[in-house]
Amino acid sequence: MKLAPESKLFLSIIAVTVAIVGIAAVALTKPAPVYTRYDLIPSDAHTLGSLSAPVYLVEFSDFECPACISAKPIVDDILKTYGGKLLYAYRYYPLAQHPFAQKAAQAAQAAGLQGKFWDMYALLFAQGETLSDATFSKLVTQLDLNPDKFSSDFMSESVKQRILKDVNDGNRFGVNATPTFFLNGKKLELSSYDQLKTAVDAAVKGLK
Amino acid sequence: MMKHMKNDQRVIVLNRIIFILSLIGVLMATYVLQSWIRHASIVCLTGGGCTLVAKSRYSYPFGIPVPAVGLAGYTMLTILTFLRTMNEGLRTKLLPWVIGMGLFGVCFVSWFTYTELFLIKGVCTWCAVSAVNMVIIFLLAVISSHMQKRIA
Repeated sequence: MKLAPESKLFLSIIAVTVAIVGIAAVALTKPAPVYTRYDLIPSDAHTLGSLSAPVYLVEFSDFECPACISAKPIVDDILKTYGGKLLYAYRYYPLAQHPFAQKAAQAAQAAGLQGKFWDMYALLFAQGETLSDATFSKLVTQLDLNPDKFSSDFMSESVKQRILKDVNDGNRFGVNATPTFFLNGKKLELSSYDQLKTAVDAAVKGLK
Repeated sequence: MMKHMKNDQRVIVLNRIIFILSLIGVLMATYVLQSWIRHASIVCLTGGGCTLVAKSRYSYPFGIPVPAVGLAGYTMLTILTFLRTMNEGLRTKLLPWVIGMGLFGVCFVSWFTYTELFLIKGVCTWCAVSAVNMVIIFLLAVISSHMQKRIA
């Protein structure tokens, strides 16, 4: 059958598209790298649980992201269940499209400099998606933080650099959405957050 | 005569555009579908929106992942637009099928955009881009139909 020039052109484009999909399929099926504990949990990372625990879970998260807010109760449950057998690290990954995500990360880091990172972490997530500039001053009062120190730390270059370091690390480890979890150095691909608990459960029991 | 030829040429160009947009749709749907099947993360301009949508039960009507419906629809449109290049008869006969597929696509993306905004409360960038893509395809098919009528 003789094809019209237009049909030949369309067929060529379809062939190129199929080739692109094929190349992408090969690239996507490459095994995911496994990162070491020292890569994922630097000495200044915010951690909970036992530092000597053989299982470590690292979360790259954004305080204003709806999916991170949904995952928070599961993380809490995991920490309650496996606290002593697990090391959990929270790492900042504020996304540009969330107007208060960067400020929330700065607020958490500034609170951390007064020893109240985890209190601020819990309160920021409790706000849901209703973060605003007024929220931060309210939380400073609620946590009984030194407001002057908080304000200067909040705006300081070192706090901003600390958050940027986490973001750069996240980019290096292939984080492109929030929340992204790494369990024992391996990036988790979850279809539901309940699977997170199952994965941690298996790791703690030494099944994985 | 000249006007007839001009409209004929425009119908051909519109078919090319619909074909390219359908292929873009195939690529987007494939990318999103593989991530849903492999539970892999994807590039998402709306932050956690893509993850939230992928994990929602609303994104699996009758157990079928939404991107699979998109992939089927865009593949169908690609095939139809390709077949329309074979000869003039098919170009005319298959246009109502392209419009029909486009209309189904518009209804489907409208339902899913509503579901994302009001039930899932999260927006997946790829779904939003795909929705716009499908609306453009439908509009181009309708314009094409008007031109075809003028030629006839």
